[in-house]
Amino acid sequence: MTGTTRGWLLAAGLTALGAAAVWAATASLNNYLLTLIAFAGINVMLAVSLSLSNGLTGLFSLGHPAFMMVGGYIAAILTFPANRKGFMLPDLPEWLAAQQWPLLPALLVGGAVAGLAAIMAGFPVLRLRGHYLAVATLGLIFILRAVVNNLDGYTRGALGLSGIPKLTDLWWVYAWVVITLFVCWRIKHSSLGRTMMAMRENEMAAACMGVPLARTRLMAFAIGAVFAGIAGGLWAHLVTNLTPTSLGVFLAFQLVVMVVLGGQGSLAGAALAAIGLSAIANLLRPVEQSTGIYGMTQIVVALVLIGVLIFRPQGLFGSREPGVLMRRPESSAPSRTAASTQTTHLEQRGST
Amino acid sequence: MLEIGGAQVWRGQTHVLHGIDLAVAEGEIVALIGANGAGKTTVLMTICGLLRPRQGAVRYRAAGSSEPVDLARLTPEAIVGQGIALCPEGRQVFASLSVRENLMIGAYLRRDRAAIAADLDHVVSRFPILGERARQPAGSLSGGEQMMLAIGRSLMSRPRLLLLDEPSLGLAPQIVEAIFDILSDINEAGTTMLLVEQNASMALELAHRAYVMETGRVTLSGRAQDLADNPEIRRAYLGAA
Amino acid sequence: MTSYLLQQIVNGLILGSMYALVAIGFSMIYGIVRLINFAHGDIAMIGAFTALAVMIVAGLPLPVVILAVLVVGAAMGLAIEFVAFRPLRGAPQVNGFITSLAVSILIQNVAILLLTAEPRGVAFPAFLSERIPGLPINIDLVDILIVVLAVALMLGLVTIVNRTRLGMAMRATAENLDVARLMGINVSRTIMAAFAIGSALAGIAGLMWSARYGQIDPIMGFLPGLKAFVAAVIGGVGSIPGAMLGGYLLGLAEVLFVGLLPPEYAGYRDAFVFGTLILVLLVLPNGLMGRAAEDRA
Repeated sequence: MTGTTRGWLLAAGLTALGAAAVWAATASLNNYLLTLIAFAGINVMLAVSLSLSNGLTGLFSLGHPAFMMVGGYIAAILTFPANRKGFMLPDLPEWLAAQQWPLLPALLVGGAVAGLAAIMAGFPVLRLRGHYLAVATLGLIFILRAVVNNLDGYTRGALGLSGIPKLTDLWWVYAWVVITLFVCWRIKHSSLGRTMMAMRENEMAAACMGVPLARTRLMAFAIGAVFAGIAGGLWAHLVTNLTPTSLGVFLAFQLVVMVVLGGQGSLAGAALAAIGLSAIANLLRPVEQSTGIYGMTQIVVALVLIGVLIFRPQGLFGSREPGVLMRRPESSAPSRTAASTQTTHLEQRGST
Repeated sequence: MLEIGGAQVWRGQTHVLHGIDLAVAEGEIVALIGANGAGKTTVLMTICGLLRPRQGAVRYRAAGSSEPVDLARLTPEAIVGQGIALCPEGRQVFASLSVRENLMIGAYLRRDRAAIAADLDHVVSRFPILGERARQPAGSLSGGEQMMLAIGRSLMSRPRLLLLDEPSLGLAPQIVEAIFDILSDINEAGTTMLLVEQNASMALELAHRAYVMETGRVTLSGRAQDLADNPEIRRAYLGAA
Repeated sequence: MTSYLLQQIVNGLILGSMYALVAIGFSMIYGIVRLINFAHGDIAMIGAFTALAVMIVAGLPLPVVILAVLVVGAAMGLAIEFVAFRPLRGAPQVNGFITSLAVSILIQNVAILLLTAEPRGVAFPAFLSERIPGLPINIDLVDILIVVLAVALMLGLVTIVNRTRLGMAMRATAENLDVARLMGINVSRTIMAAFAIGSALAGIAGLMWSARYGQIDPIMGFLPGLKAFVAAVIGGVGSIPGAMLGGYLLGLAEVLFVGLLPPEYAGYRDAFVFGTLILVLLVLPNGLMGRAAEDRA
């Protein structure tokens, strides 16, 4: 049996196992728990797609919530009951107001528009590095928030869009988690993925090897944004209302924490960190409610992150994927890359 | 006054010095010569405390004390306080600070205002150009002038031991001549020197003794004159046929 | 129309004073440790609550309040440096600013926990909100005090940076940390000084904010803090005079944007500020007064 067929079989087996778990969950758990699991799944999608740009490519973006907002609003407007659009969203053009789409095409259009938005924003923003990129992408959240607030004939502005049909269920989320993991995994282990990692390690050297820097950066950013847009659509149809402030800085921070905890560029790490962090948040919520101490989640997440960065700066997995999933000679290579990231950063610091 | 014994030094993951033994006596000029990458600069960084040996000791006898201290246990700041100054490779003056501020920062750890003022006068009399340019930002000086400023700056801490890293680097030959003359004067006025140089002929001319380094080890040492006459050295480092 | 314009300019200068004070800290800290401290804006919030505690709860006079805010701000800066940034020295830059974002979220939520998220009114002594008579535009005493105090603090800072041993050490460390150590400069102490001074100024900006707008809450510092960072970028991150200039320019631009354009654009205020950031970084990556870029373009 060749390595590739084994990989496919393993992937198919894991997918089936997951589907069985989803089936068991929907059969036995109450709605509240199912919703929590769906949130965790959306977080997995977000963290895994963000690790494409933040982890693999080394572009530190905080802009994922902005693209979720784009995808979320677009998808919600498309699925919104046509008979209520007239008075709730008076500025919609007639051809749009008459539409009432099912979830899947709405998600796809939302994701596509988010991707386009990322390409448009990426042209200026991706020329920046480091802190500057982080602040500029954070700025995207505020820019988009202002746009949504002010286009109130399309979005209901600060009031938020409520009464979005509850179309998202665990099956939808599960399917998209599988798709996200599959696509990102393929990208990571393709020549595009290697190009991204080469850029992260040493931009100039990568350019000298003929890597088209600007295009690769834009690809990483836009692909991440497409998934963020779709996740935003799923989120909107799970929560059933969307306001300009529902997706904000703390979410951006949480996603970054997932990527960092998981290790720069480890998809499985990001996914596990997303699940872990969602679990912590959900376990703390009842505690918050019974003690009246709100904000405990944020405090715990922040403390965990500071602790990890001080005591285990490479994250939980480094750049690696867990051994079970790799089991091929390359699996030793990424760990070396992680070590060399450390040293290159030190050298850069030394020379400034 | 300085004695390095069996120093093993790593820079990051790289093992650079494989057990170096080296000594500098009071009043000497000792040259350290060798090819690129031999580890000469690493020796100086180890003395200054910017790098720490994993094994071995860097013993230094401060003025008026009989007990040597182990520099490997001190911070770079404390080592400056012990009377050791480094004039770094590539000059590294503070480009945005004025020439005068650069000199004053050399005396950062000293509190004796009167003596600092006297030393400032002294440095300016040795390098008159620094007096003329006192208010200009150091970045506006030429390469040779920056070298003078870097030397002047290290003198401002009143070092007993002056470490010089490639003072000839990137300078025109006449300027190198002038600077080496000044170094010789400074030494005669009582400052001990450890000089790292790729320009071996100049270094051996100035120094009393020298060490030759290759790939992290001392391969030869002796009186500078003897080394300059050594046929192997002449072939490898002095460009003789 | 002229008096309207004049009024807007005055309002811009007041807002600019606060931006400038916060931006200075961003620039000082960045200059030395190459770190954008996202938690810097939250120190302004702490300054505002310190003012509330000392003035309203303890009932002490204004000069004492100012002093207390300076001290608490500085102490907060030192604490943040010690707990969150010192252990990360030498680690990749990314880790530093994720940590600072974590610290920011930590401070905000601890503040919510202790003080609740409800905005509170801060009543300053009535004489402060007395209108200056005989002017065509509306200027209160507090407005004048804000600008005068800001300018006085900035002059003090410039004197420290340019004329004292500490200032010289800070400039040298900002330029070349390793060589600064070789001169015998205690770099740790210099970094602490930068955090302490920058944070004290941010605290004062928070005090001013509460005096001017009368309302404070635990997350009040974050967005103005980010905007002050934009101001620092406009001036050139790392340059203290640049931060001052950038602060005033951004304050003026923001107020004039809202004041001069038709009202339906007022809601785009924040978008305007961050759009400016992106534009400035592209057109003028080193800002107006910054040194050559290292890692921003």
